[in-house]
Amino acid sequence: MFGLIGHLTSLEHAQNVAEELGYPEYANQGLEFWCSAPPQIVDTISVTSITGLKIQGQYVESCFLPEMLAGRRVQAAVRKVLNAMAHAQKHGIHITALGGFSSIIFENFNLQQMRQVRNIKLDFERFTTGNTHTAYIIAQQVEKASAQLGINLSQATVAICGATGDIGSAVCRWLNARTDVGELVLVARDQERLQRLQEELGRGKIQDLATALPAADVVVWVTSMPKGMVIDPGLLKQPCLLIDGGYPKNLATSLQHPGVHVLRGGIVEHSLDIDWRIMHLVNMDVPARQLFACFAESMLLEFERWHTSFSWGRNQISVEKMDLIGQVSRKHGFRPLLV
Amino acid sequence: MTQLEALLPLDFCSESYKDAYSRINAIVIEGEQEAKDNYQRLAELLPDCKDELLELAKMEYRHRKGFEACGKNLQVTPDLEFARQFFAQLNENFQAAANQHQVVTCLLIQALIIECFAIAAYNIYIPVADDFARKITEGVVKEEYSHLNFGETWLQARFPEVKVELEEANRQNLPIVWQMLNQVDKDAKVLGMEREALVEDFMIQYGEALGNIGFSSREIMRLSVHGLAAA
Repeated sequence: MFGLIGHLTSLEHAQNVAEELGYPEYANQGLEFWCSAPPQIVDTISVTSITGLKIQGQYVESCFLPEMLAGRRVQAAVRKVLNAMAHAQKHGIHITALGGFSSIIFENFNLQQMRQVRNIKLDFERFTTGNTHTAYIIAQQVEKASAQLGINLSQATVAICGATGDIGSAVCRWLNARTDVGELVLVARDQERLQRLQEELGRGKIQDLATALPAADVVVWVTSMPKGMVIDPGLLKQPCLLIDGGYPKNLATSLQHPGVHVLRGGIVEHSLDIDWRIMHLVNMDVPARQLFACFAESMLLEFERWHTSFSWGRNQISVEKMDLIGQVSRKHGFRPLLV
Repeated sequence: MTQLEALLPLDFCSESYKDAYSRINAIVIEGEQEAKDNYQRLAELLPDCKDELLELAKMEYRHRKGFEACGKNLQVTPDLEFARQFFAQLNENFQAAANQHQVVTCLLIQALIIECFAIAAYNIYIPVADDFARKITEGVVKEEYSHLNFGETWLQARFPEVKVELEEANRQNLPIVWQMLNQVDKDAKVLGMEREALVEDFMIQYGEALGNIGFSSREIMRLSVHGLAAA
């Protein structure tokens, strides 16, 4: 049994979904109520691999909302993640992906230290951030979608916004080791971490966002922002490939410009239909086939019976591990979403 | 990203802490006393389970003694009159149900609602308690799970017959709990316990109990939030 811990993108979104699912008690409530709402298993899922293997899973809605971080309701955010993890463990789920902000909250607020949740001692081996697969898929999107658009990577400038994060740094490692990308531009807020990443890679230009964007042929956006941000597409190169790996999507809806191609980052397509409701609720274009790569990681770990925290901790994703998850991703019929 | 705010250390000897503690401590003492009385009453109503229920009643008595020691340790006099008023409505409903031999309603009030609330409150209290009270409360909370388990097991075995009465009893009694919570909101905060955390832990515990008894996820979501929005 695999699990997915997820959340909706905003209070308004949560209210609409509750209404749609027929929970009027939840639909009309404000943030205060959601701060007290317990985790729920709201979907059971059946996935078939192209190898013929079939697995079952459950979706745990943590009731976390990005507004909790924006509104400094950090204690509530932390409780949501811990309670959802305890809920998954209590229901006997072998491997669960921490989707969206769940893994970011886990890492940033050091939830490793908060192992005891009531009468449950969390077994972290049963959880994965799913970030190795997300990073692998984004790296694949950079390689394949740029080729689709006629962008030659060996002469291209690729800017990674959020370069020092878990996913951002892994994408940098991959592009550095496995591609002949012309210029790698590293954008993030923390200068110290940027320096360390640059040293590790032995290359990469550190720039601020305003300098990096107009010069980039490919922009990979993997910051953890609770709200979207507006970029003036007129400032970007044309053609420009913009891969938005945020959840909620940071850029996709706000950018429409010929020559600027926005690709939803970290999204995979499965070769066979998946029987579930949740991807309808998060407005995927093809809900039966498309999903977040981090969720797919827990499916892969279940297919392979690797019941272990494959992705864990910060900035520990190696190119070898990306290779490994990439192999089983292809083996079971997942492929990156392209333009 | 926002940082976790550092929690100010609590001054267990301050007047404001002791003032709030006089009411919260009284509530747990009175709560354990009423739990003991309620299990004794249930033992009369359920003669087949008499020994087990009297054993639970004894445990509640020990819990009461433990919490009295916590108050003494901080040199606080519990405001028991406040606590009796606090439980009056729930107690009245329990007595009325017992007088009509409505065992299902009695179990919902005592073995589900009150036990779940106690477990939630104790679990939230433990990380912010003084050392003495923490040890006592950790011991108590372990035993409270067995009390919850008694109600769950009994009701689960008879789920089809008891379902309607459980729903009605939930409708009548859960809103009272939210109002009770409002009354101690400020005092609990002085002790470092957040209302939203209490509500969340209660809903998790209560939802689990309802699930073990046989309610579906959808029913649990509806039942466990009944009256919360209006509180």
